[in-house]
Amino acid sequence: MTAGAEGSGSGSGPAPAGARAPRRPVPWPALVLWLCLPFAQAGASERGIVVVDDRGRSVELAEPAQRIVSLAPHLTELLFAVGAADRLVATVAHADFPAAAREIPRIGTATQLDLERLMAARPDLIIAWDSGSPRAPLERLEHLGLTIYYSEPSDFGGIGKDLRRLGRLTGSDDLAERAAKDFEDAIDALRARYADRPPVTIFYQVWDQPLMTVNDAHLIGEAIRLCGGRNVFGHLEVLVPRPGRETVLAADPEAIVSGGPGEDRPDWLEPWEHWTGLTAVRRDNLFFIPPSLIQRHTPRIAEGTRMLCEALETARSRRGPETPP
Amino acid sequence: MTAALRPRPAHSPLMVLGTLGIVAALSVLTSVMLGSVPLSPGEVRAVFLGQGSDLARMLILDLRLPRTLAAFATGGLLAVAGALMQVLLRNPLADPYVLGISGGAAVGALLAMISGLGLAWVSGSAFAGALLSTLIVFGLAHGTGSWTPTRLLLTGVVVAAGWGAVITFLLAVRPSPELPGMLYWLMGDLAHARGNALPWLTLFVIIALALPLGRSLNVLARGPLQAAVLGVPVRRLEWTVYLLAALVTAVAVTTAGTIGFVGLIIPHMLRLVIGNDQRLLLPASALAGGILLTLADTLARTIIAPEQLPVGVITAMLGVPVFLFLLYRSRT
Amino acid sequence: MSAALLTLEGLVIDIPGRAAGMALDFPVLPGQCWGLLGPNGAGKTTLLHTLAGLRRPRAGRVLLDGADLHRVPRRRVAQRLGLVFQDHYDGFPSTVLETALIGRHPFLRAWNMETAEDHDLARRALRQMDLAALAGRQVQTLSGGERQRLALATLLTQDPPLWLLDEPTNHLDLHHQVAVLDLVHQEVAAQRRGAVLALHDLNLAATYCTHLVLMYPDGGMCWGLTEEIFHVQALERLFQQKLAVMDTPQGTWVRPVPGA
Repeated sequence: MTAGAEGSGSGSGPAPAGARAPRRPVPWPALVLWLCLPFAQAGASERGIVVVDDRGRSVELAEPAQRIVSLAPHLTELLFAVGAADRLVATVAHADFPAAAREIPRIGTATQLDLERLMAARPDLIIAWDSGSPRAPLERLEHLGLTIYYSEPSDFGGIGKDLRRLGRLTGSDDLAERAAKDFEDAIDALRARYADRPPVTIFYQVWDQPLMTVNDAHLIGEAIRLCGGRNVFGHLEVLVPRPGRETVLAADPEAIVSGGPGEDRPDWLEPWEHWTGLTAVRRDNLFFIPPSLIQRHTPRIAEGTRMLCEALETARSRRGPETPP
Repeated sequence: MTAALRPRPAHSPLMVLGTLGIVAALSVLTSVMLGSVPLSPGEVRAVFLGQGSDLARMLILDLRLPRTLAAFATGGLLAVAGALMQVLLRNPLADPYVLGISGGAAVGALLAMISGLGLAWVSGSAFAGALLSTLIVFGLAHGTGSWTPTRLLLTGVVVAAGWGAVITFLLAVRPSPELPGMLYWLMGDLAHARGNALPWLTLFVIIALALPLGRSLNVLARGPLQAAVLGVPVRRLEWTVYLLAALVTAVAVTTAGTIGFVGLIIPHMLRLVIGNDQRLLLPASALAGGILLTLADTLARTIIAPEQLPVGVITAMLGVPVFLFLLYRSRT
Repeated sequence: MSAALLTLEGLVIDIPGRAAGMALDFPVLPGQCWGLLGPNGAGKTTLLHTLAGLRRPRAGRVLLDGADLHRVPRRRVAQRLGLVFQDHYDGFPSTVLETALIGRHPFLRAWNMETAEDHDLARRALRQMDLAALAGRQVQTLSGGERQRLALATLLTQDPPLWLLDEPTNHLDLHHQVAVLDLVHQEVAAQRRGAVLALHDLNLAATYCTHLVLMYPDGGMCWGLTEEIFHVQALERLFQQKLAVMDTPQGTWVRPVPGA
């Protein structure tokens, strides 16, 4: 990487003076990436950093990003995980993990951006959430020449990819690689241990009013499979189905796992306790997982998945002599 | 215009339009100077003189000015559409959305969003939805033979309710990632306004087309039979006004979603002060509507920055007290 | 003989739900004042609206200056005839002067503003209708009688050669009633105009109208010079009411006989 390269498509606005990335004599991380990872499109070139984002767009920087803006709480987490937190200049409301994220200046919410403050932060890289960030303002920013990376990991592999790509873009390849590897190792370990266990039917509750769950294509659906679970609504076409309570009763899952309105509020399990006919209720297989550990697409989902797998294992242990189908 | 005309003592057209023009210029200037990032007046002046820091230039020329111009044009369009609807339906309580136009536009936009189409398609689809709704209402209201304003109004209200049901349905069954984008259409939001050429062009065209119709509209306001006997081609004029108002509303809704209150209140307020001569009311509405929406949007994006308020809330908060004051004063 | 302002040719008015009545065939010449008499529902308003081109007849046609009324451009029609309605609609605020001024609409092109002359015409009309003092008032604050006179003032501003008046004396004080009919009579008699009035008052009709049309509720019609038409038997049949007749030097007067 050459510090003096003009490079392609860097951000607009005055570049912070004197803040250039240190030269690296031998690009070992780059070689490792080339040899070990399947996505051949990303690579370091003499022109700068080129990465493909989750939308298939090519994102190019002349040099690693120095002023990063993150447009969603989970994206902020990812940036912390790859060690780029010191270069985060702005983010949106509800970015609360890790605790240091709360100190970062806000520029609105994930759905309502304050473009003026965003531009005043003079970012050279914006990390956006493909399905969540508002399209029109981002289009305007693209027109004005700002560099945007759209993230949308839809499975465990996607989280690893995002970590590595963000590592590239921020010149944090080592840390990113380590974080990605740790994450993938944790997931692989869980998979090895639980994926082939006897299946447990499960209903995962994303929201309470209205009742919302996920199907097999969702990231949480993948976690369920990994833990040897069978999502009773997995076969539905909609990514986030809204079944009625009766439908759940009819499906009679062996375990019910839910999030809640807060990190330590299993409020949504209470309504189920009235239905004493449910298998899950009879065997006391009602489990709460703090939503930020499993509903955010970050490395912490490994922790949430571990809790899910242990919950399902507990459910298995409560099966009596009569083995359920 | 010759001098020995409108014998109204206090409100010559020139004075009214001149005053509104000055206020309009001031409101645009204010809107450009204010934002969530503070800029000193010196910096603003520098930008207009072609200098200024890159950030200031970008904030003013790329962000604030386009949004301000979009707000002004949209406000003008809504106010003119409201004035035309009120004449058409001969009802001072009519607003641009009463005939279901905004509902049709919203459904068009939502369907495009659900299909994952690009923003240009969303705008186009919204426009198509608005026009479709217009044709449906007009076709249904026509029925057997002549339609009356009452029939048109009732049909429009029912169709609007129908669209509302479709919107609720779409919001209920679609996955949540698209929800915030969909909600924008219903609340109205100038942050998403794209491109200024169409609203401004439409504003100029509608004023140019409506002014020569002004006196005929004045006569039409006295009742269709009276107008007919004075030589006004009533049916043709009503069709024309309806289509123009629908077109104008469609452009406004496509630009900034459904912003309420402007189209109802502005013509009404102006009527209390300057009377009902459409030749003056229409251009005055354009200016006053632009002023209201520009100021409302400025407040919406600065009051609780970096958060933003829906601009429709602000237009109501600004418009209602002023309107009540004028109503009270005119009670004599 | 001057040309007819309006000619009714086999004209059958269209009242929805009623069988076709008799056809009307007569010209309205300058200097003639035609009175329409008949009970409510006989079709006086319908006839006036048909003559004004606002409604289509069931049969026959109306000729304006010799041409089919519905083929003449609307503007031209509005320059040749004017109609004062029974009911007045004031949905939007407007001043008395502005309302009178709309009578000039048929004479102004789209981009023209009203000239000083137009204003003078309107003010003169208001004076003639004794409304000059109310020129700046809002129409919604006028009494029934004032509103009626304003409608007449609008007609005067329009100043067409043919006047169609639907019960112009409604709501008016007696002296205003007489003033209005005197004005009509004067304008007509000087050979400048023709007029068709729908009236309720038999005696006023007999006094001011040169010709009468009796419109029977079954659709029957009968028309001609007042002297020939104004007979007690015909009127009794028309109004289903016993009448008493008095001959005086000024003319024949009728009054209803109570209890009969």
